Amino acid sequence: MGGPPYDCLANPLGAVRLTFEKAIWSESETPPIHPSAFNGKDWGALELFRHFLFQGSGLSQVPILNPKTLRWVQPNSLVRYRGMIQDMLGNEFYAGAYKDGNLWRTNKFMDVSQYPMGSSPDMCIWERRLLYCVPVPGQSSWTEPSSEMEPNWSSQTREKRRRMDDEDDDPMDLVPDDEIKSSPITKKMREDGLPSPSQSMDAKTTSSSSITSTFQSVDKDNLPCLVKIYDSPESELKLNDVFEFIGVLTFDSELAVEKDDNDELSNSFYDDALVHLPPNKVPRLHCLIHRKLAVQDFLPGSPIIEPKPHLVKETREALFRHLTAVLGNDEVAAHFVLLHLLSKVHARVDDVAVGKLSLNLTGLNKESVSVFGTRLSDTFKNLLPFTNCMPLTLEYLNTASLAPKKDYQANRLVPGVLQLPEGSHLMVDETQLESGSLNSTGIENTKLLKNLIEFQKVEYDFQYYKVEMATDVQLLIFSEGKSNIVPADVSVPFQPSCLESTEIPVAEALEAWRWYLATVRSLPHSIGSEIQKVVEDDLVAARQTDRSLGSRDFSRWLTMARLISSSFGETSLSKEHWEMVKEMERLRRERLK
Amino acid sequence: MKDLNFDADKAVAKDFISNFADANGDAKYMDILQEVANRKIKAVQIDLEDLFNYKDLDEEFLKRVTENTRRYIEIFAGAIDELLPEPTEAFHDDDHDILMTQRAEDATNNTDGSDPRQKMPPEIKRYYEVYIRAPSKGRPFTIREVKASYIGQLVRISGIVTRCSDVKPLMQVAVYTCEECGCEIYQDVTARVFMPLYECPSRRCSVNRKKGNLILQLRASKFLKFQEAKIQELAEHVPKGHIPRSMTVHFRGEMTRKVAPGDVVELSGIFLPIPYTGFRAMRAGLVADTYLEAMSVTHFKKKYEEYELRGDEEEQIARLAEDGDIYNKLARSLAPEIYGHEDVKKALLLLLVGAPHRKLKDGMKIRGDLHICLMGDPGVAKSQLLKHIINVAPRGVYTTGRGSSGVGLTAAVQKDPVTNEMVLEGGALVLADMGICAIDEFDKMDESDRTAIHEVMEQQTVSIAKAGITTSLNARTAVLAAANPAWGRYDLRRTPAENINLPPALLSRFDILWLILDRADMDSDLEMARHVVYVHQNKESPALGFTPLEPSVLRAYISAARRLSPYVPKELEEYIATAYSSIRQEEAKSSTPHSYTTVRTLLSILRISAALARLRFSETVAQSDVDEALRLMQMSKFSLYSDDRQKSGLDAISDIYSILRDEAARANKMDVSYAHALNWISRKGYSEAQLKECLEEYAALNVWQIHPHTFDIRFIDA
Repeated sequence: MGGPPYDCLANPLGAVRLTFEKAIWSESETPPIHPSAFNGKDWGALELFRHFLFQGSGLSQVPILNPKTLRWVQPNSLVRYRGMIQDMLGNEFYAGAYKDGNLWRTNKFMDVSQYPMGSSPDMCIWERRLLYCVPVPGQSSWTEPSSEMEPNWSSQTREKRRRMDDEDDDPMDLVPDDEIKSSPITKKMREDGLPSPSQSMDAKTTSSSSITSTFQSVDKDNLPCLVKIYDSPESELKLNDVFEFIGVLTFDSELAVEKDDNDELSNSFYDDALVHLPPNKVPRLHCLIHRKLAVQDFLPGSPIIEPKPHLVKETREALFRHLTAVLGNDEVAAHFVLLHLLSKVHARVDDVAVGKLSLNLTGLNKESVSVFGTRLSDTFKNLLPFTNCMPLTLEYLNTASLAPKKDYQANRLVPGVLQLPEGSHLMVDETQLESGSLNSTGIENTKLLKNLIEFQKVEYDFQYYKVEMATDVQLLIFSEGKSNIVPADVSVPFQPSCLESTEIPVAEALEAWRWYLATVRSLPHSIGSEIQKVVEDDLVAARQTDRSLGSRDFSRWLTMARLISSSFGETSLSKEHWEMVKEMERLRRERLK
Repeated sequence: MKDLNFDADKAVAKDFISNFADANGDAKYMDILQEVANRKIKAVQIDLEDLFNYKDLDEEFLKRVTENTRRYIEIFAGAIDELLPEPTEAFHDDDHDILMTQRAEDATNNTDGSDPRQKMPPEIKRYYEVYIRAPSKGRPFTIREVKASYIGQLVRISGIVTRCSDVKPLMQVAVYTCEECGCEIYQDVTARVFMPLYECPSRRCSVNRKKGNLILQLRASKFLKFQEAKIQELAEHVPKGHIPRSMTVHFRGEMTRKVAPGDVVELSGIFLPIPYTGFRAMRAGLVADTYLEAMSVTHFKKKYEEYELRGDEEEQIARLAEDGDIYNKLARSLAPEIYGHEDVKKALLLLLVGAPHRKLKDGMKIRGDLHICLMGDPGVAKSQLLKHIINVAPRGVYTTGRGSSGVGLTAAVQKDPVTNEMVLEGGALVLADMGICAIDEFDKMDESDRTAIHEVMEQQTVSIAKAGITTSLNARTAVLAAANPAWGRYDLRRTPAENINLPPALLSRFDILWLILDRADMDSDLEMARHVVYVHQNKESPALGFTPLEPSVLRAYISAARRLSPYVPKELEEYIATAYSSIRQEEAKSSTPHSYTTVRTLLSILRISAALARLRFSETVAQSDVDEALRLMQMSKFSLYSDDRQKSGLDAISDIYSILRDEAARANKMDVSYAHALNWISRKGYSEAQLKECLEEYAALNVWQIHPHTFDIRFIDA
């Protein structure tokens, strides 16, 4: 098809309507297809958008919804939102198609009908799913395509804005003109100026100096979004997944007023979760297309390079040198940290999460943590997309809510610190822990941490029962002695030889390392039958000499073997790498003595 | 829209109600109606299953009822109105009846009743409620499966009640009187909010052009009991990586007060959109909230005794029961992911099955529950075994010796924070009444709980004498305990009694005490190494070599087995008595008795045998059951004292020989059949392979001859 007759960007609903009418009157058949035949399924609109977004350069033109862009994006325009699915609010039934006189109209992808709806019996009720999404907890700044980092972005948006100005006389546009500067959202917010939502997850409230007064109600770092999902199987979108949603941003002032004045009914059970999510704080997005984001998708302009052996080895060497420098020239620790950063749950067999490698750096006290902990945390923030820190103090254990909990009053899942997406990194600082007694919350929390590190599972509290959710979080623990609260897979006594770190990596190196970590992690791996025999014999021999070794240690060695060979960009285990595992283990054991 | 003939359907409904006969040939619904007429009951429940079984079944009619249930309740109510018999018993006229008689008189005087608002709605006359109940066949829906296409239909769903409102009155018919004309005006209320009438719409008022002021008559209006609840999907119905869905349920009239938060229920009801009124209606066209109008409530059964077999389960169990190897098969299906430990699993299976409780004539009770204690090195999957057993048991509580709640294991008297009253709160053992209580870290139990558990394990009650409350609670549970050795690891140099850090009085209450040790041997190490490498290579567990039975099948089989109460036939009494006395004698001979063989041991043997008989679906205990019971007990001891055997200088082969020789000598026979020999040695805890080895070895020495086909033994006279 030629250029789409409607501007998918500024007027996506027009495009939806067009395809709807086209589908109904397809091949000029008479009588027209009854819309109930669609049963809420797609009728070709998505194809149009997919073509626009991925065939052309459409995707980069779609603004990403964040507090900054929220200031100027138009309601009923196409936006994208990147976030983690934090809660699922169930289904919503809506009048998907209705007869307006003799014409069938659709309400798909919108909150309010564009045309008056009589109470005609010709109506199809369809359903959509509501997902409550939040920005990914602990998202590193480099993953956000901000204008500073991507200079051509701002010019593009400016261009786009101009374009939108031009097209304001589009008859389909519902929003009155000349409202760019103070869109209805802005106006609405100025009216009530509500305090920022209290449910910010990682208490990372940044200074609000950059936020204009009109945006008081939107936390700068925490713009949640209510995404309405139409055509996709339920299994595609899971809790805690990180997604990019591309869809129609809607905002209806009438709806907002109604919500706010709704108090007389709020004691009834109909107070669906939506009541607590006023649209001025939580924008609505009617999702047309969604895609799951992997770490690679966050790499700015990442060319999909084949992991060439020499390139991988070079990058590995550079990264290893950097980590060694950061760790005060402790090569053994740097080796383990490198493997730890590459770890990932590949499979779950019975209760074992295969592929995880949590690391415990011991021999650290409060002073050295303030040096190396901060340094490492800065390094990780530069390398990994999602990093989180947890100061393990007694007070924290006794008060923090680590596991997400269902609040039946509000019908919402209250987020916990451990609600983390796949591939998050979590640093636990145990050096600040002092002796004292735990209360029941503390006991519950230590149990959760233990379960997380042992099985990579977090139990979500649904009050009447608990639901186990599989997670994939890399855990790094700092402690003085071996941590018993959070028993890691490997504990390495940390022995730095110098304190100062000199090297400040250049941006290109950082980018290469990010690419390396993201790519190498997901390499396939196999163990050949020859090496398998060697490994088995080594394991048996090791156990014959040391009875304390168990299947857990064996499993760890095999995980390390995999990580070592992947770190060199190889996909099958070689004798050499297996020897490296044994050597690393020997060096580690020597330190433990 | 098809033109439906509701009058015709009403006739069908009438025909069904008056003519339906249940299995006994009684006119079920007419009997109910008579009760209703006598004001004994208020609810008339139309069972769709009855409609289905009705001789003049009209499939189309049935379909219409399920798909448009709300409307058909009205039709059935109309049919019942016409069919309602005269009361056969006298009863007091209440306010409602007096009002009704008055209204009836008024109606004859006031004949301008053509105004619809003045016509009495049928609801106000009815003193019964009609419910249509979905057939209980088939699997109920999960909340997730109820889609938009089910709106208006009768559905059956299962879930857990999470919130429950108070029961409130809900106006069904508002009645007004007009100040001007004195007419009674009726207004049907269909939503939760309604717009009251202010002007009299009656003909007289409108003719006179007087806007009569209406006064709402609360006494004359009809109210319904009304309760709202939220139900949520059960944990097992939630797909991985998703959040349980919930749904609003409305209970009206007789359906109220049937559920409480935390109940697991099966509901049948009509899935309906919420009618909006007023301001919300502006939005109503676009988004609709939905709810379930409850028609029937069934609570889930949590006890074996009440477990209802579903459709094909009965057949499946019958098929399994015919399988000779069911004992092994069931045992292997327990925690299939845990490698080995066959005998432990067998013991655990018997714990699930249990023996019947006995009550003697003099009032003494003998417990039927088996208690098992697993003891062993850390990391031998004890906790996993415990958790798995709890999953299989329909009622099970998993706790640790240091239970985190203040209630502990037994029970506690606590002050209610709201009312300040002292209330009794049951601990894990009380909560597991008629089920299984798994106690991990049994050795780390509080001293107070440890004393209380003595009582629980033998008398099966918990006595409380605290804060002025003296009472005794039932705790008929099977205790499954797991404990670590006293020094973390089992120390082979110390005696078992030293390793087991529990008082003998408590230990003797366990029917089976099992020690699981992590022994050093090449084979098991290689097995483990292979397993780990396989897992890393293939991202899955090695195949089990058999397909384990589903936990639901296990549960069904066990519940079926638990219905039997096998007895010990006379001819076996002697056998058991000799077996018992020989154990006692052996113990007396030994200088360091390890076990405390008491009458409790004898009872344990009986219990285990009875459980084995139950597994075979047999009403009588057979000798093979007793033999297996003795073998299991021997195995459990074997696990405790096996290294002892080595000290005594006898290796397995010569021990087997001595067993066989002794037994043959006692029977004064030269021939021993292979089956018998196997029987004897397995009771001492040896395997068949060891027996074969022994047979070959000693045959070579010309001590005995072995029959080449049957392997029967004939001693060569020396």
